Amino acid sequence: MIRPADCLVLGAGPAGTEAALAAAEAGLDVVLIDEQADAGGQGWRAPLSGLTMPRKGADAEAGDGLRARLAASGVDRRLGRRVWSVGGAFRLDAVGPDGAEAYEAPRLVAATGAHERVVPFPGWTLPGVIGLAGATVLLKAQAVLPGRRVVVAGAGPLLFAVAAGIIAKGGEVAAIVDMDGRLAWARRLPGLARRLDLLKEGLGWTWSILGARVPFLAGHGVRCAAGRSEVEAVIVGPVDADGAPIAGPERRFACDALAVGHGLVPGGEVPKILRAAHLYDRLRGGFIPELDPYGRTTIENLYACGDGTGIRGARPSAVAGRLAGLAAAHDAGRLDATAFTALAEPTLQALADYRPFADTVAGAMALKPAQVAAITPATVVCRCEDVSRAEIDAAVDAGAGDINQMKHFTRCGMGPCQGRMCGDVAAELVAQRRGVTRETVGYWTQRVPLRPVPFDTMIGSFDYADIPIPPPAPL
Amino acid sequence: MSQAPIYDLGVIGGGVVGSTLALLAQRGGLSTALLDRGPLCREASGVNAGTLTLQMTRVALIPHAMRAHAMWASARDWLGHDVGVVVCDGLSLAFTEREAALLEERAGKRRAAGAPITIISRDEALRVEPGISDRTLMAGHCVVDGYANAYLTGQAFRAALVDAGVAVMENRGVSGLDRTDNGFVARTAQGPVSFRRVVLAGGVWIEPMMAWLGVHLPIKVLVNQLSVTERIRPVMRTVVGIASGLLSLKQYPHGTVVIGGGWQGIGDRERGGVELVPERLVGNIRLACHAIPELAGARLARAWAGLEAETADALPAAGPIPGIPDAYVCGSIHSGYTSGPSIARSLADVILGREPDLPLFPIDRLMKAAPP
Amino acid sequence: MSLVRVSNGVTRPAAATFAVDGMEVSAPAGEPLATALAAAGLLGLRDSPRGGTPRGAFCHMGLCQECVVTVDGRIVQACLTPVRAGMQVGLGGTLR
Repeated sequence: MIRPADCLVLGAGPAGTEAALAAAEAGLDVVLIDEQADAGGQGWRAPLSGLTMPRKGADAEAGDGLRARLAASGVDRRLGRRVWSVGGAFRLDAVGPDGAEAYEAPRLVAATGAHERVVPFPGWTLPGVIGLAGATVLLKAQAVLPGRRVVVAGAGPLLFAVAAGIIAKGGEVAAIVDMDGRLAWARRLPGLARRLDLLKEGLGWTWSILGARVPFLAGHGVRCAAGRSEVEAVIVGPVDADGAPIAGPERRFACDALAVGHGLVPGGEVPKILRAAHLYDRLRGGFIPELDPYGRTTIENLYACGDGTGIRGARPSAVAGRLAGLAAAHDAGRLDATAFTALAEPTLQALADYRPFADTVAGAMALKPAQVAAITPATVVCRCEDVSRAEIDAAVDAGAGDINQMKHFTRCGMGPCQGRMCGDVAAELVAQRRGVTRETVGYWTQRVPLRPVPFDTMIGSFDYADIPIPPPAPL
Repeated sequence: MSQAPIYDLGVIGGGVVGSTLALLAQRGGLSTALLDRGPLCREASGVNAGTLTLQMTRVALIPHAMRAHAMWASARDWLGHDVGVVVCDGLSLAFTEREAALLEERAGKRRAAGAPITIISRDEALRVEPGISDRTLMAGHCVVDGYANAYLTGQAFRAALVDAGVAVMENRGVSGLDRTDNGFVARTAQGPVSFRRVVLAGGVWIEPMMAWLGVHLPIKVLVNQLSVTERIRPVMRTVVGIASGLLSLKQYPHGTVVIGGGWQGIGDRERGGVELVPERLVGNIRLACHAIPELAGARLARAWAGLEAETADALPAAGPIPGIPDAYVCGSIHSGYTSGPSIARSLADVILGREPDLPLFPIDRLMKAAPP
Repeated sequence: MSLVRVSNGVTRPAAATFAVDGMEVSAPAGEPLATALAAAGLLGLRDSPRGGTPRGAFCHMGLCQECVVTVDGRIVQACLTPVRAGMQVGLGGTLR
């Protein structure tokens, strides 16, 4: 059974939900699809069903507001669906609670978000080491601390959000290890000050961290995580302004969890599968689709918005989502030029107003090439297939010139995470080894399924006689 | 400034056919340049299912497929590098009376051409492969079967070609081919490449390549869908297909199961394999799960499409190009990964002035006048 | 050693009991299985297939596939699977 619609929106984070709302308000029959059970994406997640906890902060409010507006809208919400195929112009195939499903519409908005970048270090595969983004999910949606004594390390604003979240919930932070020096944050203040409300939130985190008297190591990075079957300690040392390790005293912090992250990488699988044009933008986290100001990709009637189109953060993503939804409605003939302009102009302005702030946040989360250059040879880069840096280097030396050829030589990126965890760092390693640009090295050829999908759910029950087997090949 | 070399042989297209040819020609004493618009073996030769079965091979190709099977199995010796080849038994299953009849007919003809295929009962088939469905009626059984790890092909050939001294020119797209007094000049963005003889080995791109020489050879483009599971516990140990040929299935030593069989996706010569058709992917996987029931517990990790070339009679284009001295074509071999190295070997023999042990497939039969 | 459920000011659904390789574990119904396992001290869920090193939940958002377990014989991502009373969980990943 195929559910036809005017517009499909894949991803119910801030961008996708706003896109769906804007398109539906203009009269389009919109289906909004996401894997999670609730809208809000990763940043504005709802607490687990049946769990109540004290919630405050701008993200909780924004998420609850978004979900309330969605619930009151005419958007057809198809949550808890794993979309595995995207094709045609346009069709999505998914597995849901009742098995296989398909959706079809002449317009598609891709709002699939971003995933975390963790630049590998020895011991990062140990149980108990988790991503900063994962830690926020535990804290905000599940009221769970990542451990009894947690080291929080990496770069970017999530570092402080997680540390403050642990402290607020009564947990112990063993140390905060920030790759950036204090100077880097001082330089960012003007950009951050463009959004006083959000800066205030950041200062609140800092205040709670100061109050808890947690060891704070600016200009430091993780040297390694140690432990036999689980993480038991983290060893940290100084890094320079580019993220490269430098000589200096190392410190060891006993812990039972390490939450670590080095920024976000745009997901953007859908525009890649559909072969929209992309460009590399280091500030925005990696390869992003080429978009017009409203979120139109180079493929007709395919729109993209949110962090999957370049890292900006949840609020600017929501605004970009609204623009994409308006553009879809306008292109569908449901908003005439006057109405479209009246709605889009202030939205464009709102997005522009966010830009200095978004650029500053993105800058704090961008890849640090010197950090990648310093990965030791034996360190595992591809977690799924246990491919080390030395193996990637050897593949490049044996003639692998781009990311996909390197994948063929090593199996790096061939595992079930489909290259999400390692792709950005692996491509950077190939580029550095060859001394070429990231554009030359390229990105993984994107394939279906969008996520691993169980055969039994995909195929349902069937009779052999009903399989549409094509005619035999010639003999 | 030294003059650009004139190679004895230029091979355009660096898949298994072009790579094998270049390697054997260079080893035979011809200075050889191998040009490809991308990296070696990254089209059909790198993305096919890697099956080395006789039970999906066209009857006329059985002798080549058997010789190529031996070549693949001994790749470490003559290529010097591993392509992950596993030699094992192969089964072609029949689940219906109609398939059983088809199986007996097809196995018989292949057996007559030299393939050691026997028909065995369901119980015998279950002994050969305990993973198959007990709904199997009968099976074609062949001990000459197996598979390679197709994505390793480029790495292995590249190393062998460089070792042998072939001028490997990857990422060097050819835009045209000019005839000169002493051979051919390939036009490329990075400058011309000259050679005395040329082989066009461009798979589905043979048709536009032949047009450079003013020759019209129609080549149909098949868009074969493939899929692979994540690593799972062992569920099978042989190569499994079905009588109609619309399934190929094997589990690699590291645990992934590759599903092929030539179900068609969407794509063309210009854009490659653009899109998979979900219903056909589901159909192909249903067939696979019907054949190996325990596979239903696996997850799909990745699906893709690779292009396969087919001539009007679905037999290879392999031999001299009529009317153009010193120009050859080699490709469009049905199940080309399986038989390709052997056909390339025969053409290398011809170019090196030797009598080939196995015949070529001259293209005179396929030639049509160029469209006006 | 384990994830820690915050108790202060938090109310959770009633506990559900399930089995992990025959061992009884309790967790609030509906909690992601990856969280429930880690809260029970089960951080290591499988060994990586090539290097054989211990692995546990890493991204907690459905992407990394490190927390793959079997539930009632089916391969699932523990971080996306709500706890249900009576479920039979098997550790060891997809090669089990």
